[in-house]
Amino acid sequence: MATGHYISGIGHGALLAWAIIGGLFSRVPDDAIEVAAVSIISSEEFAALSAPQPAPEVEQNIPTPPQPEIEDAPTPPVVEAPPEVTTPPVEDIPPPADVAPDVVEAPPPVPDAVETPPEVAQPPVEDSPVVLAPPATTSSPRPAPRVAPTPVEAPPPDTEVAEQVQEAPTPEADTPTPSEVDEATAPEEATDRIVTEADEPPSSAPTRSSRPSARPKRPEPAIETAATHSTSDAIRDALEEVQQEVAATQTAAPTGPPMTGGEKESLRVAVSSCWNLGSSSTEAMRTTVIVNVSMSREGKPDDISLLSSNGSSNAATQTAFDAARRAIIRCAKGGYKLPTEKYSHWREIEMTFNPEKMRIK
Amino acid sequence: MKHRVTSALTLVAALFVLPFVATTASQAEPLRIEITDGVIEPLPFAVPDFVAENAAGSEFASQIARVVAEDLTGTGLFREIPKDAFISTVTNFNSPVQYADWKAINAQALIVGAVMVSGNNVTVKFRLFDVFSGAALGDGLQFGGTTTSWRRMAHKVADAAYSRITGEGAYFDSRVVYVSETGPKNDRKKRLAIMDYDGANVQFLTDSRSLVLAPRFSPTGDRVLYTSYESGFPKIYVLDVASVGRRALADQPGTMTFAPRFSPNGQTVVYSLSAGGNTDIYRMDIGGGAAVRLTSEPSIETAPSFSPDGKQIVFESDRSGNQQLYIMSANGGEARRISFGAGRYGTPVWSPRGDLIAFTKQNGGRFHIGVMRVDGSEERLLTGAFLDEGPSWSPNGRVIMFMRETAGAGGAVSLWSVDISGRNLRQIKTDGGASDPAWSPLLK
Repeated sequence: MATGHYISGIGHGALLAWAIIGGLFSRVPDDAIEVAAVSIISSEEFAALSAPQPAPEVEQNIPTPPQPEIEDAPTPPVVEAPPEVTTPPVEDIPPPADVAPDVVEAPPPVPDAVETPPEVAQPPVEDSPVVLAPPATTSSPRPAPRVAPTPVEAPPPDTEVAEQVQEAPTPEADTPTPSEVDEATAPEEATDRIVTEADEPPSSAPTRSSRPSARPKRPEPAIETAATHSTSDAIRDALEEVQQEVAATQTAAPTGPPMTGGEKESLRVAVSSCWNLGSSSTEAMRTTVIVNVSMSREGKPDDISLLSSNGSSNAATQTAFDAARRAIIRCAKGGYKLPTEKYSHWREIEMTFNPEKMRIK
Repeated sequence: MKHRVTSALTLVAALFVLPFVATTASQAEPLRIEITDGVIEPLPFAVPDFVAENAAGSEFASQIARVVAEDLTGTGLFREIPKDAFISTVTNFNSPVQYADWKAINAQALIVGAVMVSGNNVTVKFRLFDVFSGAALGDGLQFGGTTTSWRRMAHKVADAAYSRITGEGAYFDSRVVYVSETGPKNDRKKRLAIMDYDGANVQFLTDSRSLVLAPRFSPTGDRVLYTSYESGFPKIYVLDVASVGRRALADQPGTMTFAPRFSPNGQTVVYSLSAGGNTDIYRMDIGGGAAVRLTSEPSIETAPSFSPDGKQIVFESDRSGNQQLYIMSANGGEARRISFGAGRYGTPVWSPRGDLIAFTKQNGGRFHIGVMRVDGSEERLLTGAFLDEGPSWSPNGRVIMFMRETAGAGGAVSLWSVDISGRNLRQIKTDGGASDPAWSPLLK
């Protein structure tokens, strides 16, 4: 009982000491009072200040930009009134029924001796495409035979189409005439979306487009069941498997610094420039394929295989894979510019070709 | 007991080891990149002149190669590399392909063929190569026929090449029935004509004594439905293409019948019947019999078109006070409206793929050919002109052919085609004016 009094007394004493020493009852300093200078003005001055601002004067001399002439309808070539065709009465000459051609499969070619021609030297693949002109954001897009991520103005006439831009040399009086004349080059004209005839007047342009679908899920690995194994066996098997994986991983693990974002982007841009979906079926344009590319040290693809696809048919999957494979091979003519010291990082590349953005252009 | 302890220790060890392994394994994963920006441009291809395997074959060797090239180029999906750019020549059908030579000129597809003529028969064979993969695309194919059908064999070669590259069906070996128009606008002579899809081999099916309208192919391509004013009023006829024989259909005195179209199985016809100032949609067996009324609104219902499965019908109606598109069951009943945009919609045609409906739209003083999904969503206008009308689908559902008329008293009518992406708008070559095209299925 006394012990309780002692404990209570000590506790209360400590609390009082903290309250006094800790500043519980000390005065809270007042916040600084902000002082603002004021001045007294007359009612005339106040009226002048609160009066509405006069409207800016309209400059009458600014010329109105000329409006482009919008024709009501594109005029197709005028067809002259056709002459009366003097064909005898139809009943007298029924159209002959065509003989349906017989279709027989021909055997594939048997190459007698496959010659390996010398490799044609190709210009190196550029890391990123050179943009000639800023994208036309203010004017309506013009139709162009090529649809690319970056719109490109039509090159001047007599200009050779090339990836790099090169100005034609200006002849100077003192400069001796070179033996070979350099010609101006420019990238092929491109637009960043499909422009239809109906787009020509802005009022009738399509107003809706398809929503991009979700990214396809990777196929989940099949789960094997081993009902006959005991728990300890399963654990032992798992451990062995893990050990094997560790061993394999240690031998295949890439060494050195990883690929930088810029290096990856450079590869992505290089492959993108050759990924042509212009001849793909509409179904293939909805198909995402994931391909594995085994690369040589020279930056060329050794082997390209299909890993997975969300295609709704084999034909669509095959078409999408063919387009991806063509892109990888075409743009690797001189070998992709990849850092050789990081070969272990890009020896195997998994490329996902997703046409979602292309479909809605 | 000892076994249990061992198992427990193993489990604990595994729990410690697994995260480490998972971390290490992640470092060995392949480099992953995602490519979402490509280009859409015609695929470059090369078609050297076919090899003439005998002297008589040389007459067709070059012509067949030209038709194949024009077929593929005409789709807008392919671009032919001119012959003067070739490095290699093909003199033997079985010679190995010099892929490097074709790669150097950026030919991504190569078509090599051969022609042999014996008597009145011609044999055409070809192979298609993916140049950059260095392999053939499918097996070689061989076609045989008469010398008069050499164009059909060329179309079949192009069909096969198109299908293998794009992964979808083709449409080159097909025909188009249309209304051939001659004479001035105020006294125009119209008669039915049939031609290859590219405008070749024109033949007339009727004379110009009476006005004819809106021909439609049967699903097998051997019959044509059309409307004729022979009796002074519009009346539906069915015509056999091979014999040019015809008979009247749905002949009901005191009525006008028009806008006929076959069902997908070719056994039924839907059409519009106008009587007592009201126009509704009816259905009838192709062999005759009683007509079944499918709509009974006081408004004008016309231009019916079956879905590919034959279960639904899309048509135009002004029941809302404005001409719009509706879908109903093939047996009639309640219809649902699918077009809601500004302007008037008409002449709907269901795509052979079943996913889109092509239509004519009039808005803001212009006519458009457009497509929309079956539920009316994703409407896209593909053309715009003074007067575009009457879309008809290619057999593969990729291209739409339609009629275009120019303004003015001397306005001319012509046939045009456009890809469903809105690209590759081009005029079909015809002798004189042409309207109301209807595309046949692929020929057998």
